Amino acid sequence: MVAPAVALAAASAASRRSWRRLFRWRAPGSRAPCRPVCTARGLPGGNEYDLLVIGGGSGGLACAKEAADFGKKVAIMDYVVPSPRGTSWGLGGTCVNVGCIPKKLMHQAALLGGALEDAHHYGWDVAPSAPHNWQQMATAVQNHIKSLNWGHRVQLQERNVKYFNIHGSFVDDHTVRGFTKAGKETLVTADHIVLATGGRPRYPEDVEGAKEYGITSDDLFWLKKSPGKTLVVGASYVSLECAGFLTGFGLDTTVMMRSIPLRGFDQQMALLVTDYMESHGTKFLKYCTMRKLEKFEDQRLQVTWHNHEVGREETGVFDTVMWAVGRVPETRHLNLEKVGVTLHPDSQKILVSASEATSVAHIYAIGDITEGRPELTPTAIMAGKLLARRLFGHSAELMDYDNVATTVFTPLEYGCVGLSEEEAERRYGQEGIEVYHAYYKPLEFTVTERDSSQCYIKMVCLRGEDQRILGLHFLGPNAGEVIQGFALGIKCGATYSQMKKTVGIHPTSAEEVTKLWITKRSGLPATVTGC
Amino acid sequence: MAQRVVLRRFLAPVLFRKLPRCRWGPLPPEVLAQGSSGRPAAALCLARTFSTTKISKVTFNVQDGPDFQDRVVNSDTPVVVDFHAQWCGPCKILGPRLEKMVAKQEGKVLMAKVDIDDNTDLAIEYEVSAVPTVLAIKNGDVVDKFVGIKDEDQLEAFLKKLIGC
Repeated sequence: MVAPAVALAAASAASRRSWRRLFRWRAPGSRAPCRPVCTARGLPGGNEYDLLVIGGGSGGLACAKEAADFGKKVAIMDYVVPSPRGTSWGLGGTCVNVGCIPKKLMHQAALLGGALEDAHHYGWDVAPSAPHNWQQMATAVQNHIKSLNWGHRVQLQERNVKYFNIHGSFVDDHTVRGFTKAGKETLVTADHIVLATGGRPRYPEDVEGAKEYGITSDDLFWLKKSPGKTLVVGASYVSLECAGFLTGFGLDTTVMMRSIPLRGFDQQMALLVTDYMESHGTKFLKYCTMRKLEKFEDQRLQVTWHNHEVGREETGVFDTVMWAVGRVPETRHLNLEKVGVTLHPDSQKILVSASEATSVAHIYAIGDITEGRPELTPTAIMAGKLLARRLFGHSAELMDYDNVATTVFTPLEYGCVGLSEEEAERRYGQEGIEVYHAYYKPLEFTVTERDSSQCYIKMVCLRGEDQRILGLHFLGPNAGEVIQGFALGIKCGATYSQMKKTVGIHPTSAEEVTKLWITKRSGLPATVTGC
Repeated sequence: MAQRVVLRRFLAPVLFRKLPRCRWGPLPPEVLAQGSSGRPAAALCLARTFSTTKISKVTFNVQDGPDFQDRVVNSDTPVVVDFHAQWCGPCKILGPRLEKMVAKQEGKVLMAKVDIDDNTDLAIEYEVSAVPTVLAIKNGDVVDKFVGIKDEDQLEAFLKKLIGC
């Protein structure tokens, strides 16, 4: 053993070195942090990065990685301001953390509950109803999300994109300043800047107690305990999807709607969606608006609302109230006024051209933050990639936002591509369109005696000649899987004549699309009977 | 803090001559206050002859970057670093298996556990992409590495190679 005095001295020296290293500690291989001195501002070539993306969600990540693949020096900033409830999450944006991914997983969890009920019809010796453990499900969902957060970090590293976990805002049109959680300031300069900060759920301004006692979709997926008896306020797909899976877990769930469900979607389909939910356990408070939220001592919530149909105030008690009354773009904290990026006066979203350019030459915007675009992950991703290719890859291809397929993952799913019947009528007149439709019964529903009253398909076509398909609407199980293939057909200008020549796959629900022949105009009943 | 560091580094070689499985008296308050890694008190070892000593364990959880620098990079004893995640199924198999094999090496190698969600920057810095990833670190350098699950014999060989070279 070494003489204690020498060992002690050596150890002291080592400890002093390690202390010095502590303060100078920097990841090997990482770039030095930006010095708080601007390099030649506004001059192309004088900025530190070729591209800075603000926002690490679906659009931002896709754009950054695509640009890096062209060999450009790219940086991305991502920062999650905790929700009023304190919920926060990692890299990946809304879709990964508090949107599509956890939503679809929880929707699947709820569907499995339904499958358990069906199982004994098919010979399985299982109890038709089993209790649902929220914590077990939430942990599994949250763990998957964390693996995706990690995956995105690794991809950025592998594609050589510099990642800053800071909240950025403009200092000038080529310089963005951000502060880390610890309060450290960083300045980043770039030739091109892409804004992709997305949106956050809106809290109603005129409801007492809204922020203190209500949650939003930002919080729902990260709850450690079951939300219990829940009131979901809103008629958006967020509201209906969440209320749908909560009902599926056996929770006492109510949806409060001010007027129509799924504004912007085909209204006939929207009403079928809510009809299904209503006949399968979700309660609806229609034509009601919230007044106030109060909390009891036992933590339950007293909700007061105005029922416009009967013209009086009503109250109810819930464990959880979730707001799903729309989303606001994250433009407030970017300091956009400083650089002159113009926003839409009502929505406060960023106004962009067909090439995603803002009112400032080298600043672009993609995704939920942009005005007039669908708030969807795949469109943000594609727009981001095409933008990167136009900026750095000598491409001229613009994003095509027409005929984008989408699906609402309510208990009975609604998938659609193209125009709603109302929009087609608006554009071509009722005489200018032909609407084919049919009710159908999925084979799987027969043995289990499931109600298929809302299983319905509608195809809106141009009248005359080949009857180009303007829109396709499908309500039924696996609607997303069904509609995806047809979206390709519609993109290629498919017509009703071509659809008639397409042989269906049997036995599926999708084949019913190829078999449509009854028009609304004919007045015939649209019920399909057997093979 | 510097004093504790010094004491730990000085006493580590002495303490690790003892087997890690032990049932000793109650832990002195200063040890409990150290808040080391959240492992249950029963897993901590005290050399009976040093009742007021600060302890090192064969296996520990890395708290942050400076902690890693201190206990892994600056460690005189070789360290295997287990990068793992809560959401990683194979990690839950490899972790305990590796701990068991490290414990068998009688203090000749230490094991540092890094949760990559809590220490993302550190994991990225060491080029971890998939988990579990295990690095062998000697005198601050990465001398060996593997990704995924290994059986006990393979782990034994990995550890022996680290200790031997």
